[in-house]
Amino acid sequence: MSTRDLVLTALFAAIIVALGLLPPIYVGIVAVPITAQSLGVMMAGVVLGAKRGSIAVLIVIALVAMNLPVLSGGRGGMTALVAPTSGFLYGWVFAAFVTGFLSERLVNANQSGLVQTVSFFLAAVIGGIFVLYPFGIVFAAIVADVTLQKAFLGSFFYIPGDVIKAFVAALVGRAVMVGYPLLPVRI
Amino acid sequence: MDIRFESAGASFGPRVAVEPLTLSLTENRLGVIGLNGSGKTTFARMINGLMKPTTGKVLVNGRDTRDEKTALADVGFIFQLPQNQIILPIVKDDIAFGLKGRGLTKAEIDRKVELVLARFNAKELAARRAHELSGGELQIAALCSVLATGPDILILDEPTNQLDLRNRALVQKTIDGLEENVVVITHDLELISGFERVLLFHEGKLAADAPAAQAIARYKELAA
Amino acid sequence: MQSLYVEGNSALHRISPRAKIFALFLLGFVLFLSNNLLLLAVVMLLTVLIYRSVGMPLKESAGRLKPIFLTIAFVAFVTLIVNPWHQAFATLLRLTGLMLFAAAVTATTTIAQFMDEITTLVRPLERTGWVRADDVGLAVGLVLRFVPEIIARYHAISEAHAARGLKLRPTTILTPLIILTLRDADNVAAAIDARGIRRHVS
Repeated sequence: MSTRDLVLTALFAAIIVALGLLPPIYVGIVAVPITAQSLGVMMAGVVLGAKRGSIAVLIVIALVAMNLPVLSGGRGGMTALVAPTSGFLYGWVFAAFVTGFLSERLVNANQSGLVQTVSFFLAAVIGGIFVLYPFGIVFAAIVADVTLQKAFLGSFFYIPGDVIKAFVAALVGRAVMVGYPLLPVRI
Repeated sequence: MDIRFESAGASFGPRVAVEPLTLSLTENRLGVIGLNGSGKTTFARMINGLMKPTTGKVLVNGRDTRDEKTALADVGFIFQLPQNQIILPIVKDDIAFGLKGRGLTKAEIDRKVELVLARFNAKELAARRAHELSGGELQIAALCSVLATGPDILILDEPTNQLDLRNRALVQKTIDGLEENVVVITHDLELISGFERVLLFHEGKLAADAPAAQAIARYKELAA
Repeated sequence: MQSLYVEGNSALHRISPRAKIFALFLLGFVLFLSNNLLLLAVVMLLTVLIYRSVGMPLKESAGRLKPIFLTIAFVAFVTLIVNPWHQAFATLLRLTGLMLFAAAVTATTTIAQFMDEITTLVRPLERTGWVRADDVGLAVGLVLRFVPEIIARYHAISEAHAARGLKLRPTTILTPLIILTLRDADNVAAAIDARGIRRHVS
């Protein structure tokens, strides 16, 4: 990995950590508060692409494993790795990868802003919800000893919030692409 | 020092940043001045190999800069933005990190860190967090990190650009006291006003190669 | 950023990190394979003792557990609704035991020790050419170095918003935050390369 890529990845991991420490951001007219850390994971994919985005998340997990309270709410250490919600943490790696993978392939500089935003949105939803949730659900079902169905139903509560996050990630992804494109675009 | 440019030039694609130059630099103190975009920064980066010459070659202490592994070892580089040079949270860890992979024991590394900090009267910076340091303190810390590995040539690229008056004075005093061979690229003409040799770049070409006073005078003419 | 390590000299402090992590996994394995309430209760009580043996003052050790217990209570409550009571109770015992031991491991292992473990773990993977063990330490260090800068930048951008009478919206704050931070990457990478820190990489 080039030094530049290594630094980009580490800096984005730092952004994800910082987002866990900062107050929630308010979205929309109704001012829905969103905790930005999982938003950071989606953004890692749309801004850096599959490889660097997922490695950024891996670095965050390494920090958690190393006893640092980097998850929002000051969580970290071994307890954060074996909790019922830990499946979502591990799933983040795959979510960032898929979001990045789709972003690289669906988006290019020649499209209109609207097309780019919609593509980023799809990438964020597929990665951040469809890929992420199974990890969280299966892990929770095992650790909490409930059936998969019940765990699945329980996860529905979070979907609206995550859809909003995917939308924000798409907007930011597009804006960053205009200002400082970093996505390795592949046909 | 022993830096030789042999018809060495650098281009970014079609744009020529530095026209092919043949120079032999042996002085202990070298200044490099010029307007923004004149090529002085590219020139500086050609000395430590961050920029490889697109034509000709650059030899540092007899070694070709294109052969990365050997050339970089002798040249230290201080960049303009102090906060982007300290890459680990605590200053002494940052200095020690640059000494890794050289076959030194931990005790030897710690000793070298102590020595370089003492050299700049900066022992109290050792346990400080980079985030809390002023611009001048960061530059001193960066100097320690870079000099800990013992390069005999030090390049400083606009080291006082971002600093306030007090920090600027601190850095100037520190530079003046350095024994190493020093190359300073700068807009801050006072920094180099006592240098025996100053190169003036203008539009990629060498417009003056003279003692400080003359080079500065010519610079003022060109800048008018 | 403060780590979750707690100074001390208990037995757990002196056992190697590898042994502790292995024990944690082993414990998890045992806990999740068993449905015997008595066994689970005994194991859980043992973990309480282990956690207390770490030597933290009572108030602090309880404080650390608050967020964890909140999660466990929530899960236990939910499982009580959907599962028969003895199953829910088993879940409660399991999770509590696991979390207590995990918290004990967390409190008795330093960042440096974990760092060494991760580096050792990654080293055999160097052969695949995908990752360098030393890069892991560098990446972690870079994160710790720049998190405060990013937070400071966030506040600066917030202030700029306030000064212009703008409301903080995600795109207007996150976009500049990301762009400004990532722009630094080139300078930082140049400083790293100029110091020859990753000399083994071309």
